[in-house]
Amino acid sequence: MSAVTARSTTAPSATVRRRRPLRLRTVLLTAVGWLTALIFLAPYLQMLLTALKPTPELMKSPPSYLPSQWEWSNFADVWSLKDPPVPDALLFSLYVAGMSTLLALAVGLPAAYYTARHRFRGRGAFLLLVLVTQMFAPTALLVGIYREMVSLDLTDTAEGLILVNAAFNLPFCIWILNAYFASIPKELEEAAFMDGAGRLGAMVRVTLPLALPGVVTALVYTFIGAWNEYVVALTITSSGDRTTLTKAIPGFVTAYQEQWQYLFATSLIAIVPVVVLFIFVERYLISGLTAGGIK
Amino acid sequence: MKRHLIGIAAGVTLALVLSGCGKGGSSGDSDSDGKTIRFVAAKYDDDTQPYWDKLIKTFEAENPGYQVELEVVDWEQLDSKVKTYIQTGQQPDVLNYNKFSDFARDDLIYQAKDVVSPKVLDDFLPLFADQAQYEGVQYGLPFISSARLFFYNKDIFDKAKISKPPSSWAEVEDAAEKVKKAGDIPLGLPLGAEEAQAEFYIWAMNNGGGWTDKSGKWTVDQQANVETLDFLRKLTKAGLTQPNPEATNRKDVFNQFAQGKIGMINGAVFMRKGFIDTVDKNLNYGVAPLPSKDGTTHNTLGVQDYLVAFKKDEGKNREAVNKFLDFFYQKENASKFLSTEGFLSVTKSAGDALSSDASYYKPFVDALSGARFAPTDNPNWSAVEGAVKQRIGTAVSSAEPEKVLGEIQETAEKDG
Amino acid sequence: MAVQDFTTRTAGSGSGSGSGSGEERTTPGALPRRVRTGHRLRALEPLLWLGPALVLILAVVIWPVVEMVRTSLMDISSTGLTRGFAGGANYADLFAEPDLPGVVLRTLVWVVGVVTVTLTVSLALAQLLNSRFPGRRMVRWALIVPWAASVLMTALTWRWMLNNFYGVVNRVLMDVGILDKPVNWLAHPAQAFAWMMAVAVFVSLPFTAFVILSGLGTIPAEVYEAARLDGAGTARTYLSVTLPLLRPSLLVAAIINVINVFNSFPVIWAMTRGGPGFATDTTTTYMYKLAFDNQAVGESAAMAVVNFALILLVVLVYLRVVRGREETG
Repeated sequence: MSAVTARSTTAPSATVRRRRPLRLRTVLLTAVGWLTALIFLAPYLQMLLTALKPTPELMKSPPSYLPSQWEWSNFADVWSLKDPPVPDALLFSLYVAGMSTLLALAVGLPAAYYTARHRFRGRGAFLLLVLVTQMFAPTALLVGIYREMVSLDLTDTAEGLILVNAAFNLPFCIWILNAYFASIPKELEEAAFMDGAGRLGAMVRVTLPLALPGVVTALVYTFIGAWNEYVVALTITSSGDRTTLTKAIPGFVTAYQEQWQYLFATSLIAIVPVVVLFIFVERYLISGLTAGGIK
Repeated sequence: MKRHLIGIAAGVTLALVLSGCGKGGSSGDSDSDGKTIRFVAAKYDDDTQPYWDKLIKTFEAENPGYQVELEVVDWEQLDSKVKTYIQTGQQPDVLNYNKFSDFARDDLIYQAKDVVSPKVLDDFLPLFADQAQYEGVQYGLPFISSARLFFYNKDIFDKAKISKPPSSWAEVEDAAEKVKKAGDIPLGLPLGAEEAQAEFYIWAMNNGGGWTDKSGKWTVDQQANVETLDFLRKLTKAGLTQPNPEATNRKDVFNQFAQGKIGMINGAVFMRKGFIDTVDKNLNYGVAPLPSKDGTTHNTLGVQDYLVAFKKDEGKNREAVNKFLDFFYQKENASKFLSTEGFLSVTKSAGDALSSDASYYKPFVDALSGARFAPTDNPNWSAVEGAVKQRIGTAVSSAEPEKVLGEIQETAEKDG
Repeated sequence: MAVQDFTTRTAGSGSGSGSGSGEERTTPGALPRRVRTGHRLRALEPLLWLGPALVLILAVVIWPVVEMVRTSLMDISSTGLTRGFAGGANYADLFAEPDLPGVVLRTLVWVVGVVTVTLTVSLALAQLLNSRFPGRRMVRWALIVPWAASVLMTALTWRWMLNNFYGVVNRVLMDVGILDKPVNWLAHPAQAFAWMMAVAVFVSLPFTAFVILSGLGTIPAEVYEAARLDGAGTARTYLSVTLPLLRPSLLVAAIINVINVFNSFPVIWAMTRGGPGFATDTTTTYMYKLAFDNQAVGESAAMAVVNFALILLVVLVYLRVVRGREETG
């Protein structure tokens, strides 16, 4: 079963049947659904409410549910801070996450495509490597990563971060894309090729669009991974103008000073771009992950 | 067609190579001229970065050709960063840290006399300079200091009908009982990982206990320390502290004291700037000497942070480091840092220059003269400190004091 | 090697439900392979396609791994300075740590517990999100937020909410009358560990639920129709039709979760820092504490190596399961 079909089946399975009488079921589902949403949003709601409290109220015991005074200025304060410079950090994070995603896709797409379409010596070994490298988390490898960045003279650069983020997310990209390409019938591509599109043209014009959900999945996964990456950014970058959001955020709470309202405000600023990205691509995402499922 | 394939692959490789060729930080080439130095500073609070930015700007203006690359790192992350730097041979030229002796042991840092002028060397208060020695030679440059005193909430004390701050442990217990009856949290006792070693030492030193004996041998498991934990355990079990001291960090109780929820607490000099003023400038509190077992002599815990200068490139960086450090230790620069961050001076000149708010700082400065310090001159202290942070709190909840202290003693006797 | 069939073996379940715009379909399960005659694969061609990926993986991921293994064999001083070769001394030290067995055991509970609960809850969530009700899109978007937020931030928020003094959880429970005084949730090891597992589940749910949701999307309506005609009830249909067809998705979700949960550092670090003592540490946080609290960098690297060995073991088991599936399926 190919992912091709996946995109369209979600709806029919539920709609085809005409089951009007089941009003109660819908009501129940709606209630449960909205309750679930609330549960998932609750911590972030709390984040928002805390970010809007005036300082003396933050640690009041017992806590108040709502701010006695809505300090919207906390967000403005955060935005205009010099240390850390939140808008710059936001841009830097966007740049790093964006470039990491591009690099991972640029490198991962050909590899995934080729392994899905061809049998060759070392294919098994390559796929094993991909699977095994998925298990490594940068937390344990910091010293090695740092030493490597020193050798490449990439400490304290965006490029260093981009390489690391791309590389550590690449295995998942290859995995998911490979499964996706494999599920697209080769005949489609052959047909386009016969029509004179050329091998590459066939790939770009036929296979790639069909594989779009897979690409989107890899994209989202890498982007979120890079966006939230913390320990590597902490270790290999040092200048103030090369600070990612995740690196900036914990700095609001130090041994000598606690500014939880700023920490939470900045966290919310960091969450928004990813949620927006997700809302745009959600439809593709669901069918994209299917390919992983097929495997 | 093949050409296309090759094209894609080549393009990707090119992208890879290009991204790999981005010019790195100037850490590599800066060392060569010896005029550019890297300075890693610890972040005390929001004002730290602006302070250094400004200082460095002035320094660079006054010393054309010299440059300082600043990196401000939060305390929480400083340990991991410093280790990574040293392990990969990328140590900064100057570091602001709370330890120095294992650097000295590993021959990584300059002696103090090599990197500051004799005038600056003379200016350090002997109390702090003594604590900056490793095997009789001064390596660390005292940077800031802090002292602890006993903070109590006057309103809570009035409510509980306590007339004066407790001076002996028995009085602490008595006052705590009264505060508890009046319905507040009697004593803040932060034995969570953040600063457990400081809190424990404050109580232990006022019972004649401590980390080492006179000769410098580890005596973590001495009887006085066991007694101290027994006492703290008794308070905890009687509900005279905030719940779960073993899992409470210093910040939490400082905050609750500022909120007016806690009757008494061993507070630090930066309490006012960092915690009380942000919450309630009108909090009605008093400051007294730290209570001791018998109520006669009262010791305080002194804490100091250091600057250390790393040896690099056969000493090529020494001149620039020297210039920068001498610049920092000028009276007005050093005292500006102290007043910005709310700490106590480690030099005579800066101490004299600090007059603002004398009434708040005076008791701390006075107490410092008899202060005890953690044995930061012992290279094994880092490991002991780590073990204390992890384990000491459990001695007032689940584990037996003797056993806990015994385990820490074992760590201490291991070779670092 | 089991991995060979990593990709091409597509599950043969969903055929015939194609509703797209005129795509051709292959027979389910068939390998879409027709090596074109005239084009012998040159030995070097794979390198062109795989080369960049290989370079990136080998250089950026494998190099540090080698470095880590090397560190675990070195004598490193508390400052981080390498003093020479240590042989197996770091490993000996590690295995002599009295806290290690507890930490490993807890890691096991952590991984098995979190992954099992995550998968179970995700199955229900996916079912919910696959049903039609007003506002379903919104609910899906809400579900993504914990994924979009970095785990560190989410864990910090939870710590904040569970605080003894100012935590909203205590406030709510007291207002509804369940508690009459605040509970210090993160102070008691068992309680704290349970909460952290809950948070780990919380942050793993979105990804897992979406994997399963997309798995549900691939199950054709016809299958359900057939089950209905056979007179199967809802529960039976789910157990005998839906669940088996979801197996591939579940396996993917399981392996990704095992890897992530095993390596999960921020949840524990932000909420209890593994304390009190080492009572809530897993191998990952323990590794960190060895290096930075105990000042034993080499021993910490040894812990990291052991950590990898453990996770490798888990993945090998996974591969066996996958192969088992392919043989039986």
